[in-house]
Amino acid sequence: MLSRIAESFFWLGRYVERAEATARLLAEHHQLMVEDRSVPEPWACRVLLDGLSMPTAGVETPHALVRAVVGGELDSATITGAVSAARLNARAIRDSLSQDTFEALNSAHLALSRGIAFTASPGVALHRVLERLLVVNGIVDWTMPRDEAYHFMVLGRELERIDMVGRLLGIRLSELWPSSGPPAALRAAGALSAYLRTGQPMTANEVRRFLVLDPAFPRSMLCCAADAEEAVRGLQRLGVSESGHLLREVGMLRSQLEYADTPTADQVEYFVADARRAAVRASDEIDRAFFRQHGTIVWSH
Amino acid sequence: MAITPFDEMLLPDGSPRPTQEGMYETLTGLGSEGLSERARQRDAYLDRHGITFTLGERERPLPMDLVPRLLTSDEWTHIEAGVKQRLRALEAFLSDIYGPGQVMLDRLIPRKLVTTSSHFHRQAWGIETPNNVRIHVSGIDLIRDEAGAFRVLEDNLRNPSGVSYVLENRRTLAHVLPEVFTHHRVRSVSEYPERLLEALRAAAPAEVRHPTVVVLTPGVHNSAHYEHAFLARNMGVELVEGRDLYCRDNQVWMRTTSGPEPVHVIYRRIDDEFLDPVHLRGDSVLGVPGIINASRAGQVTIANAIGNGVADDKAVYPFVPAFIRYYLNEEPILPNVDTYDLSDPDQRTWVLGRLEQMVVKPSDASGGYGLMMGPSATDEQLANVAQEVQANPRGWIAQPVVTFSTCPTVVDGGVLAPRHVDLRPFAINDGTQIFVLPGGLSRVALPEGSLVVNSSQGGGSKDTWVIDDTTPLGYLPDAAQYDLMTPPQPVPEEVSRRHDAPAMHDDRMVQQERQQQQTAAPAMEQPC
Repeated sequence: MLSRIAESFFWLGRYVERAEATARLLAEHHQLMVEDRSVPEPWACRVLLDGLSMPTAGVETPHALVRAVVGGELDSATITGAVSAARLNARAIRDSLSQDTFEALNSAHLALSRGIAFTASPGVALHRVLERLLVVNGIVDWTMPRDEAYHFMVLGRELERIDMVGRLLGIRLSELWPSSGPPAALRAAGALSAYLRTGQPMTANEVRRFLVLDPAFPRSMLCCAADAEEAVRGLQRLGVSESGHLLREVGMLRSQLEYADTPTADQVEYFVADARRAAVRASDEIDRAFFRQHGTIVWSH
Repeated sequence: MAITPFDEMLLPDGSPRPTQEGMYETLTGLGSEGLSERARQRDAYLDRHGITFTLGERERPLPMDLVPRLLTSDEWTHIEAGVKQRLRALEAFLSDIYGPGQVMLDRLIPRKLVTTSSHFHRQAWGIETPNNVRIHVSGIDLIRDEAGAFRVLEDNLRNPSGVSYVLENRRTLAHVLPEVFTHHRVRSVSEYPERLLEALRAAAPAEVRHPTVVVLTPGVHNSAHYEHAFLARNMGVELVEGRDLYCRDNQVWMRTTSGPEPVHVIYRRIDDEFLDPVHLRGDSVLGVPGIINASRAGQVTIANAIGNGVADDKAVYPFVPAFIRYYLNEEPILPNVDTYDLSDPDQRTWVLGRLEQMVVKPSDASGGYGLMMGPSATDEQLANVAQEVQANPRGWIAQPVVTFSTCPTVVDGGVLAPRHVDLRPFAINDGTQIFVLPGGLSRVALPEGSLVVNSSQGGGSKDTWVIDDTTPLGYLPDAAQYDLMTPPQPVPEEVSRRHDAPAMHDDRMVQQERQQQQTAAPAMEQPC
């Protein structure tokens, strides 16, 4: 397939995931700030913005925080920006997407651009956006053939997911809000029910370990790495060459997480940083191997 | 009836109480339009999340009012102490009557009154609970009288429900009306499921090191099924029905795909009568045959214990202050509401003479069923009740009409109007201490002037806040926490940097965009 098309699929996967994870995170963070006012507001705002690599200046209230993170089309770290970027990529490959997928994405984009997120109760508005993004993933799941495009999209989604789980853990909700933080972190990853079923105690370290190393929860870093690896193998099965380095990168990450001894809290910390680094390298490698094969320009007569 | 009820937000002159000024301003600032809009968002939220209870055949959202109810920390300290005291006395009473029966030998309460209670179960006599707890979970209903003093209206020691709404109300309110939280620091309610699980584990048979706890529900058609599922999910334990369990050799097992698994603690949300067809209602299809024997053998703990209903029988209620003095040698912190014992001929005659000023309640019912409000009853209803009382005096009690306190409540059209409220604080006893969840369920009677708050009778609920006014807003108790903000190893730039599709920031992309539009694109710069 065309590199340009593959690249758009990859980034579509990334941006949809980024928008969704950021919206969940914002909803939970906002709820924590409102419900438990023990942490000074400017402080709580800064923590989230830092974690999302966004500028922190001038954002000091829950409402301002919502505005900042919902953001605008120009900054792809914000929810609006990520949805908008996803849509831009989807437009370029509109012919290869099912009509439903584009429609769902479009309605998320429209909802945001109409500014519904700026109502005073952001949870309500964020929910609408999340719902539409879930529809996008749902439709992709049951309408897209498992071809190259699909594998590129999954790769994008899983690498972004590793990055976003890393950011979530970097924000340390559990230490700012000792009692309500751990369940909020789980909720932000959609993992609360899954975690409760394990019967583990609701402590910061156990929650962190779960989000990094749980072998069954689809948003744990381990599962993301395993799914990314599976996507690369899928590409190989379809005869895409050039995936050797990439397979090595995601495979090493997966096996490191999978076969780790029960690690201490510090080691989990190390795994998080390592996984994020590996995700960055994998993304660069994908870019190099598939999208930007800079051949030498040969002039001929 | 010209007594003015106590208004919890406004002073008699119509200005807000000092503790509630901020809240009052926020609410009036929203105006009726703003409140109506939020009410719509709330309904959508509750519908979407399926936060419902079943009434009759229909599943409906529990009406949650947008205006929270505030309790100061002083008020709360008083309530908490009173609830704990009452529970200690009631625990002592229950283990007494299902054991030696000293309180009846001492003639503090007639033996006949205890044994004629429809919730007194001989089958439970002599069962000893592992950590001496029978009332693992309770919800004692309180009201505020005309003077603003809290009084106990009734005890609920069997299966008090509503705690899931306490937790959901808090989340819902923060979701749809975040502004009201601005002025206060509210004590959290989220630890309830964790506390409950701890208490249930602590109640397990002594020799079991890793007890299996389950929640036993009658099934999806029960009015409180939402709550059963909520508690099981939030405790991370199985939600079982009677048919999932069976007994063998005095041990309770649950059927699983990997074979039978032993069960050690059953938090049951089905009534005593249905629990065990061997000993109680023989036609019960909800229960588990043999479960009472297993409990007597000490192999399984049933929480709450069987037969607790005798202690929350309304005919026993007038004796509770005496129990507090008898068992604890303390004066009751929370007084009762005056209650007339209709099995006493003198009191009965007196009450029947002024039925229109009385509230008459069946002594063994809960949920507001069968209750008669004298002042609003028709002559026919009064005559019927008089007849029933004459026929079965033990089955009824009478209380003078108590005017509950009121709280501003959003009514039709987004207007704030006073409505009567009660309060059900939930308490958990783990055997070493009693934990009272800060706040509890405030139920509100939505029709104007109504005093019946039960959700089965058209009542709603309010998020109930216990204000933590001991520490100022935004205060971190430990300055060292600030260090948390610098992560142990700062995240390196190559990791924290956002990765974006290269096209996003590419100048060439802009050129592409313009040329694709085939408009008057500026000429491309010619390479030299």
